[in-house]
Amino acid sequence: MYGISKEEALIMHIDLNSAFATTEQQAHPHLRGKPMGVTNRISKECCVIAASYEAKALGIKVGMRRTEAMAICPEFVLLETDPPKYNAVYQKLIKIMQSYSDNIKMKSIDEGIIDFHGMQHILNGRSLEEIGYEIKQRVKDEIGDWMKINVGIGINRFLAKEAAGWHKPDGLDRLDHTNLIKYYKERKLTDLSGIAERYGARLNAYGIMTAMDFLKAPEYMLKKQVFKSINGTYWYQRLRGFEMDDHETSLGMVGRQWVVKDPSDKDSYLLPCLSFLCETTGMKLRYREVEARGVAVWVTYQNGEYWHQRRMHKSTFYTNQEIYRRALELFNQRPHGIVRTMGIYTYMLTPSQVSQLSMFDDITKVRNITKAVDEINDFYGTFTVYAGTSLEGKKIIKQKIPFGGTEYFELLLKTA
Amino acid sequence: MDPTIQINELVPMVPIFKPDASEILRCYPYKMRYRNQEIEFTIFGMRHPTAKGKRMIHVFDMSDGINDYRIEFDAERLLWTLVSMVEGHDVRD
Repeated sequence: MYGISKEEALIMHIDLNSAFATTEQQAHPHLRGKPMGVTNRISKECCVIAASYEAKALGIKVGMRRTEAMAICPEFVLLETDPPKYNAVYQKLIKIMQSYSDNIKMKSIDEGIIDFHGMQHILNGRSLEEIGYEIKQRVKDEIGDWMKINVGIGINRFLAKEAAGWHKPDGLDRLDHTNLIKYYKERKLTDLSGIAERYGARLNAYGIMTAMDFLKAPEYMLKKQVFKSINGTYWYQRLRGFEMDDHETSLGMVGRQWVVKDPSDKDSYLLPCLSFLCETTGMKLRYREVEARGVAVWVTYQNGEYWHQRRMHKSTFYTNQEIYRRALELFNQRPHGIVRTMGIYTYMLTPSQVSQLSMFDDITKVRNITKAVDEINDFYGTFTVYAGTSLEGKKIIKQKIPFGGTEYFELLLKTA
Repeated sequence: MDPTIQINELVPMVPIFKPDASEILRCYPYKMRYRNQEIEFTIFGMRHPTAKGKRMIHVFDMSDGINDYRIEFDAERLLWTLVSMVEGHDVRD
């Protein structure tokens, strides 16, 4: 009736829910069954970046400030993140997933997809539900008995993710043409993955109030009126189980941002931090084997104002010093005020040309120094050698764990 | 708030190796001596490898049923370090 795909459900979404909190509970037996969470650096106003199921049941949410969480539950325990620990879990999860199919894709450090298309012969007649239960058991046996995963099986990536979130925690569900309508009838619009408040409000404005309304909405309306782009068509297809998300996104920008530990307007405090942000940006650029032509710097102030400046250069750059020099020119133009957050990003990225021979001695010298420093840091640990301008910044800024992509996880572990 | 107590002391340790056990339980600390007390580990939390430069470090999170202990084994220098502990309550039941 709604044109739902009748294809067999062969996409499995695996979601290690409350991953960091559950991993800490695995490591700390006495925290099991207790409200606890994880933050990047414990401070007065730090945020909960992962909360245990027990904490969530009390109303403690991700993003909540420590003080708010403590007001809800004075016994709430907050630990600092331990990236190598999460990486060990991540690597073991990948290993388990890869034993079923080569076609896996990690969406972030706690969720991934196994695509079983073309792998039916390997299943030996077993259903994906059986495989899903087996993976759940293997996660307990090979990672730890406290670890829980949600497994979703769907006809496309979107529906597999939806299925994984249907019965949390420790759920296993399938979504295909046989039960999709029932599922949508139970869901609110903002329950759908990818539809947060903003999109929800936009859909509401066109009379789309529920997930079922969304399914019923004509493609033309979604494309021309609601989303005013091809995204409308994508959503129309995605909701019906057609694959819209099996593509690689290209690298658009590389950078680093930081919530200023003690908001300040003093250059003596901010510049070493900017230098440190530029160092990590340079490391990321070289790790991704790209060079940049553009650099941008942004700042938010204590009074809520925002400032942003960007500049495109004729030649590409990739060394920490070049990034810092260019960023500093921009940063010095900022309006006076107490800085609350600051960030830098590089853009217009092109593949690295470091391996090409240069006609100019000074360019070769810069390349060689950068390569030598990278090799020293690779061997002895990142930030064994770094710029003097970053000295104070390194003491202040703590490396954070990445959310979303997993591109820099290996790089991060060298610094952890 | 954060109940972790930093210790960072080398400790006498008795590890155990079970050739037939699954990978996660093949080798782990069995008991240690800390401040003249013998502490026997009864609950295995988890083990994860990490690196300090190129040195391989195995981190063990163990519990004696009351307190949780973070223990590091430096595989190059063969050192056992009690890094930290978290005081808790009896979780054996």
